[in-house]
Amino acid sequence: MIDTKHTILYDSEKCIGCKLCYKACFVDVIRWDETKKQPVFRYVEDCEHCFSCQAVCPKDCITVIPDYSSERLHQTFDCYR
Amino acid sequence: MKYEIKELQTDVLVVGGGVGGLTAAISVKECDPDLSVTIIEKQTTGYAGKANKGGGVLQYFDLSRMTPEEFAEYHVHAIGCFLGDQDLMIKYVSMNNHMFDKMVEWGGKLPKNEDGSYRVMPTGPMTAMITVDLDVTLQFRRTAEKLGVKIFDKVTMSDLLTDKGAVSGATAYSILDGTFYVISAKTVILATGSQNYRIGSMWGSGRGDGIAAAYRSGAQMRNAEFGNFAQLVKIRSHNEVVFGENFMHNRLNENVTQNFRKEREPDISSTAIREWYVQMCEGNGPIHLDYGSQAWGGGERGGHGGGNAKPSYGEKFRMLNMKAAMNIDTDLEVCPLFLGEQSPVKVGHDMQTSISGLFAIGDASYCGSTAPGAVPAPPGRNRGSGILNAVFSGIMCAEGAAKNAKTAAPRVDKSQVEVSLQRTYAPLERKDGCTAKDVIRIIQSAVGPMEQSVYMRADRIAKALDLVLQAKELAKTMKAVDFHDLLACHEAEAMVLSAEMQFRAAEMRKESRGWFLREDYPEMDNDNWLKWIIVKNENGQMTFSTEDVPYEKWAVKPQGK
Repeated sequence: MIDTKHTILYDSEKCIGCKLCYKACFVDVIRWDETKKQPVFRYVEDCEHCFSCQAVCPKDCITVIPDYSSERLHQTFDCYR
Repeated sequence: MKYEIKELQTDVLVVGGGVGGLTAAISVKECDPDLSVTIIEKQTTGYAGKANKGGGVLQYFDLSRMTPEEFAEYHVHAIGCFLGDQDLMIKYVSMNNHMFDKMVEWGGKLPKNEDGSYRVMPTGPMTAMITVDLDVTLQFRRTAEKLGVKIFDKVTMSDLLTDKGAVSGATAYSILDGTFYVISAKTVILATGSQNYRIGSMWGSGRGDGIAAAYRSGAQMRNAEFGNFAQLVKIRSHNEVVFGENFMHNRLNENVTQNFRKEREPDISSTAIREWYVQMCEGNGPIHLDYGSQAWGGGERGGHGGGNAKPSYGEKFRMLNMKAAMNIDTDLEVCPLFLGEQSPVKVGHDMQTSISGLFAIGDASYCGSTAPGAVPAPPGRNRGSGILNAVFSGIMCAEGAAKNAKTAAPRVDKSQVEVSLQRTYAPLERKDGCTAKDVIRIIQSAVGPMEQSVYMRADRIAKALDLVLQAKELAKTMKAVDFHDLLACHEAEAMVLSAEMQFRAAEMRKESRGWFLREDYPEMDNDNWLKWIIVKNENGQMTFSTEDVPYEKWAVKPQGK
């Protein structure tokens, strides 16, 4: 998917800097700030709403809110474009 | 711009840290613990790939109920349509118990009954499934590290290096800081996945870069036209509806599954996609699923069921996905979504490509091995064959890969490295140009529509190919703004290449066989098309030839042959 409009909410207060969300992201949406020991959601437009970052977070810091309408289906019929 | 260059030496280089790459790395170490084995993975080994994002389903062969030869015969008629290597299929099925035992040994969590046997769900007379927790790749990573496998994450392969027709290593770069790696290796194992064109969600990691690197270095491709898998999805959440094709109804509430399926069949077929397209064209759409009336007697519903007693690692993903989609999917309207799954690197039974010392496994070479026959794989109309084939091919390659790594150290050609360096960073050096996504958008518009890629016809293939050639021209001007974007540019180039070979090979195959469906050539043609199409890069030209399928040497032969 490209140019998606999913939202990723992140609570830095609860984050313990375990880096699991960064590792779990398989499409490089999340980078790691080594100074702050926190994730940086740098390429959100590439998010595939796989929920991996949210699922692996031990402190429930992350919430992915998919915008399914931003995902193209690439069919010819107008209703499925 | 100047880039830092690092040199690495390893006996065996594994490209890709998903389930196939980890299996291969572990298996090579088990063959010969003295060999140095290195994995490079463009994201994070253990989290990468598709095995940890799907249903956690493994194909299972109950060898107490049938023989591998019986399955191979069933497969030829029901799925492979005489294009599959029956000997390889027999090996795959024969290895079933060994593979499951190995997966458990390496940390995979498989559900068991009280008597210690695996908890298996029969899905048909010849097929069964077993679940595996989605942390399987993380467990494999731990095992690999214990065995001394070195892992470089966030490092993506750029080009393969060769010396006198044999592989001699690879170039790579860090997607974090752009460091360029020159890796000398006696054996290289490609475990880079299939080409999925960044359309489906869990399939997002398969972007064909390994396929493209193999092609550029001269490795042959086979069955590239079978890179057109599609699945029915719910139209709002885009969640896949496995086995939904058995319950398709049109706007008039007519059961349209009956138009293409009279009896039980293994998994989704391209005829289901054709039916959707025909119904839509006739104004009978939309298509929805109605589980209330069985399309055929005794069929099962979607999903895989089963699983462990306590919530597993994978349950969290499924729950979050389900919760997010809960209020979105207000009905069961479905449409097809193109997934691709092109896996064309040509390999033999030892998973070696046409380049000495270069191996390709898992979804990089599934169709290229010809094991699945006339169907895109995975799943190859065999649900759960993706993970199991990755494990199979990872084990199968190990002996040859280890043996090859005993040879003398390869010579790394400095001029090849220089060419690769220039090619790799070219999009960053351009002052202006189009974006990677400009190219990808065009490719997706070529492969996405079902009538162009699945229910094909000469004029529609030509239209798709025209789009691909537009994207190919545009790709020459791609500009990257950072290393993340640079990777996207290289992936876009790989998508152009995959799509071109898919449509050119599709144009060539003038018949319908298995999943491959052409409106203008609706019949299977055993007189002219018991052939594999071979694609090769010859001095920059994409060339096509055919290879006769050696059906004479196999037990099951086409009628009249």
